[in-house]
Amino acid sequence: MPRIAGVDIPNDKQIEYSLRYIYGVGPHVSLLILKEAGIEPNVKAKDLTEDEVATIAGVIDRNYQVEGVARRAVSACIARLRDIGCYRGLRHRRGLPCRGQKTRSNARTRKGPKKTVAGKKGVKELSRG
Amino acid sequence: MTRSQKKGPFVDEKLYRKALHAKERGEHAPIRTWARRCTIVPEFVGQRFEVHNGNKFLPVFVTEDMVGHKIGEFAPTRTFKGHSGGR
Repeated sequence: MPRIAGVDIPNDKQIEYSLRYIYGVGPHVSLLILKEAGIEPNVKAKDLTEDEVATIAGVIDRNYQVEGVARRAVSACIARLRDIGCYRGLRHRRGLPCRGQKTRSNARTRKGPKKTVAGKKGVKELSRG
Repeated sequence: MTRSQKKGPFVDEKLYRKALHAKERGEHAPIRTWARRCTIVPEFVGQRFEVHNGNKFLPVFVTEDMVGHKIGEFAPTRTFKGHSGGR
């Protein structure tokens, strides 16, 4: 199993798809990388030669932000929103969705596990049943 | 839906003129405004505003990081502070 960009070990999928296991590499970037490296996107990752793996690693190193760098870039963006006190920043501080979704129901990804409130409509039936 | 690039950012004409004026003269009095939809342009940096939130005017000091945001984003319109008995 080849190692690219630190600890990422894509498996026996086609290289186009295994590259996407790297944080910061999606469908589009994956193809761009392979085009620049001059490698067919549909070769299995395990069939790549050492040289080809090195070329891919080189291309990523030179042109793309992946893994730690990409994660830091994202959190820097969020930190900026928090610092300037704009609406999106406030929503991030509170852990609520910041793109205008409703929070009356759902929004569980941002709000985390349900916190049941006693006495609210429907709770009685739930606890009895 | 994102605004069309060809139009450029929306900047409230009146507010823009006022801000330029204030900058030229080095006035520090905050500019009162209702124009929440106005994009913050580099010329606004360092200027103080008072942005209406539907109820009162909230002070907003514009820094460089705020460029590109709408001025209304810095004056929240809702007051919800959390339910009673929250943990």
